[in-house]
Formats: sequence, C-alpha cells, structure tokens
Amino acid sequence: MAGREKTADDNIVICRCEDITLQEIRDLIAQGYHTIDEIKRVSRAGMGPCQGRTCRQLIARELAAALGAPIEQVEMPTFRPPSRPVLLSTIARGEADE
Amino acid sequence: MVRLKNHPILDFPTGREVVFTFNGKDIKGIEGEPIAAALHAAGVRVLRHSPTLGRARGFFCAIGTCSSCLMTVDGVPNVRVCTEPLKQGMIVETQKGHGHLPIE
Amino acid sequence: MRETDIAVIGAGPAGLAAALACGESGATTLLVDFMDAPGGQLIKQTHKFFGSERQFAGTRGIQIPDIIMDQLSKMPNVALMWGTNASGYYADSGVLTLEDGARFIKAKAKRVIIATGAAEKPLAFENNDLPGVYGAGAVQTLMNVHGVKPGDRVLMVGSGNIGLIVSYQLIQAHVEVVALVEAAGRIGGYLVHAAKLRRAGVPILTSHTVVRALGEETVRAAVVAEVDQSWQVKPGSEREVACDVICLAVGLTPLVDMMWQAGCEMKYVPALGGHVPVRDENMRASNPAVYVAGDAGGVEEASSAMISGEIAGISAARSLGFEVKEADARLAQLKADLAAIRSGPTGEKICAGIKCATVCGGEW
Repeated sequence: MAGREKTADDNIVICRCEDITLQEIRDLIAQGYHTIDEIKRVSRAGMGPCQGRTCRQLIARELAAALGAPIEQVEMPTFRPPSRPVLLSTIARGEADE
Repeated sequence: MVRLKNHPILDFPTGREVVFTFNGKDIKGIEGEPIAAALHAAGVRVLRHSPTLGRARGFFCAIGTCSSCLMTVDGVPNVRVCTEPLKQGMIVETQKGHGHLPIE
Repeated sequence: MRETDIAVIGAGPAGLAAALACGESGATTLLVDFMDAPGGQLIKQTHKFFGSERQFAGTRGIQIPDIIMDQLSKMPNVALMWGTNASGYYADSGVLTLEDGARFIKAKAKRVIIATGAAEKPLAFENNDLPGVYGAGAVQTLMNVHGVKPGDRVLMVGSGNIGLIVSYQLIQAHVEVVALVEAAGRIGGYLVHAAKLRRAGVPILTSHTVVRALGEETVRAAVVAEVDQSWQVKPGSEREVACDVICLAVGLTPLVDMMWQAGCEMKYVPALGGHVPVRDENMRASNPAVYVAGDAGGVEEASSAMISGEIAGISAARSLGFEVKEADARLAQLKADLAAIRSGPTGEKICAGIKCATVCGGEW
C-alpha cells in the first residue's frame, strides 16, 4: 500500500466491521487469494460482529468478476455459531437451568 | 424538530421523557426507545469512528446485525445502540477503537 | 436443556404463521425472535395488503402481528421467547443455542422451522459507510417504529417495491425525496406505487446509480450518474444532488446462516436473492429435521411468507405424527394461493427461481 496514490476504491468500504476496502480486496485477489475463506483468514473480512452479512456478497461478486466465473461457483465460507454477537459473560455463566 | 407528529397513519407511543448524556452533554429522549433513535432525534449522526481507518460511522441497519453503531454505554463497550433501550441517566460515549472492558 | 417438538426461529409473517399451524396441531412449539416484540418486518408495513382474505387482504401489515398473537397466546403448547438470539444450530444433535443477553439456553427440537427472513443487500460506492447512508429497513424503522425523521432530503437508491414504498412513506412523514435512482432501465416494483411517487413530483431516474457520497462526517450530497446496459458509468454524466440521507433499497438476500450450519443443501438462485436451501414442496430442507419458511427460502413479500410459513408448520407437525385438521385440503389451498400471488411478470421470475430451488419431483 505504501507510496501508492489513493484511489476511489480506497473509499469503498466492503467490510465495515474490520475496515476492509475494495482496494484491499482487489489487491488480495491479485496476490492469489481466490476464495472467500482465504480472503477472510488473511484480512479478517467477515470475522467481525456482523459475521460477513455485508461483505460476503460483495467479495463473492469481486471474486467472480476477477476469475471470470459465475457467482454460484464462488465457494462460500464455513458458517459457525454464534451467528450473532453473544456476551462472553452469558456463555461463561452457563445454561440457565444447569 | 425531527420527531414526527401528525402522521396520517401512525400514532407514536409517547413514553416518559428521560435525560441521558452523550459525551458529557445532556440529551433528552424517550424511555425505552433505542439509544440511536434518541441520538438521531437530537441531531447526532456520527456514532463512532471505525477502529482502523477512523472513518465516521452512524446508524445503518437498525436491527443489531451490523457493527456501524457500536458505542460505549455506562462503561461497557461495543453496545449496539440501534437496539439498546434508553434508560434515565445512561452515560453514552463515542468509542475509541475496539473499546476497553471495564475491569472490576 | 429445554425440549420441544418444533422450534420456529423468527416471528415475522412466516414464523408467526408457522407457529400458529404447529400450535393448532398440538405439537409443543417454541417461537423465538431476537426482537423484543413479534412481527418482524410487519411492524413497519403501514400499507394495506393485497391478495386474498386468507392472507389478510385489506388489513395493514402493522395490525397482523396482534391478530395472530391473540390466537397464539391462547395455546398452552406454544412458548414464546422474545429478545432472544438463536445463535447456533448443531445438526448432529438437533440442539439450538439461544441467548437473551442474560441467559444461555439450549433447546433440543425434533423439527426446526427457519424463518429468519432476509437482510438488505449492500452496495459498493465511494464513501458508502458515511453516516447518512442508511438501509431502507433502517429508515423505515426510524420513521415508522420510533417516529424519528431520518433526515430532510433523501436520495432513494433502488426502485423495487421497498424503494417505492419507503419513498412514499417518507413523503407521508413530510420528508422530501429529492430523486429515486434505479440502475436498471425500468422500474422494478409495482407501477401503482411508482405512480404515487410521480404524482408527488419525485423524479425517477432509471439507468442511474449513486457513485459517491459527499460530506466530511455526514452526508451532504450524493453524486449520481447514468449507467449503460452493462451498468458502467457513462463518462461525463455525473452530477451532484444535495441530500442528507442516501437510502439503499437495492434488494434483499435470504438470511440462511442457520441452514448452512444445519448442513442443508444450498443453491445460489439470483431470482430468490442469493443462496437458498433446496427444499421440497412442503418446505422441508435436505436435512429432514429442518424446514424453511418465508424470505429465508427466497425473497418475496409478506403474504407469500405467511403462506409458506403455514405450509412449513403443517408439514413439520404432520411429520411428527400430529393431526392437522383437513391438512391435505389446506395444503392444496395454500399452494393454490401461492400460485395466484406468483402470477404476473415479477411472479414469473420467482416461479422460475422456486423451481430451481425445489427438489425434483416435489418431494424428498
């Protein structure tokens, strides 16, 4: 990134939670990260509080365009609980009736 | 005034007026409405700055599924103010970065 | 650990209808929603419904939750949990994890009906995260639920029914809609809604999109531009529109996290808004313990959501051996109602999508 002039893509936010821009996604795809899971692991896009609800589709669209494949061929990442933010204290307290 | 009155179809519940603080400033809201609604009605649009890029963020999804409106409420960080009900005397603050947990 | 015959996740139009059908059958039913009150998107729908009386034609969306809740609350076999997140489903054991901010609850359900609805699609444009860029659902919530004006001058993006209806609701709330932009060459929603906007003097700009939000800390203007048929901006067509809200109504995508967790076979169907579970005609997914209802199975609208919810409810109860009065006749009627709702040009697209997502032969 250093020394590069700011582009319009630097102002397009793809993952709001982790502050990842379209420019960063495009750079990662150019570097060879070709699945949503790879991009997620290297950038954290999709690992924030919303669990990829906003960025997943935008990244899928970018990958499809860059790889010249239809979106249905872009592999979806793994979906794990919890799918909504949970307070650690709630889990630590354990089940209500235990 | 940004609160709606005389809507052709809807009547809005008129709850008890409460006072809370936003970054130290007193603001009035309606008890039980989401904190973000009270802030919006008071003209506060910027709820936080994003943790890495420092970009201004505000109200966005309104249903607690995104991270746009995370604020510190009564010392607890990462509260989704678009769904958190407003209470009398709440201390609402703009959050810095990912926020700090209060150590008890 | 709690146990229940059927758990229904989401108490919007689909979940409410599903829970009602399950409740009538006598099955123990647990209805969960993360909001503090039932209704889902119905609580914002101030307009009167079309269609048949069975689906509340002539009733405003905001009145429907009370009508259904009145019946549900009289059923001792139906448990209701509001303000409760269903944060996970563990397919190997059929256990759901639920939490309400204070308690962490495990619930084992023989059948799960997933009626989680849909989420708004994002749009990538410059400064798309600036305060004042709001989802259409958020604008509706702020305005119709909390009675707070979202702004003074709104640019609406998207001419589907949501964009059209929310624009009209803004005007009813005395908010100026400066323009509505639509990237496609024609209006996406019902022309009857578009006509209302035209009469109110709102310019509807087809083949136009928003390319940039302007403003330091909050939106003060939007740059809109004309796009060609491949949705590329035509050079020199950019112009600035003063506004303090940019409202995004560019479509919805099914909320299907839980179905991925359940290991259901999924399919990407653009006509239905994105990835949806493959299902049979009775809304059963490839995981036989899982049913889908409403927008989570494909984005349509509240009337069809209530129908698919009822179908899923009847079918799930029946699969556990619970007697549902005149089940076959009811299912046939519901399917006929769905077909009627899905007529017309928009319906044709949906029908094609549903066909894509339905298992061959109609049953697993």
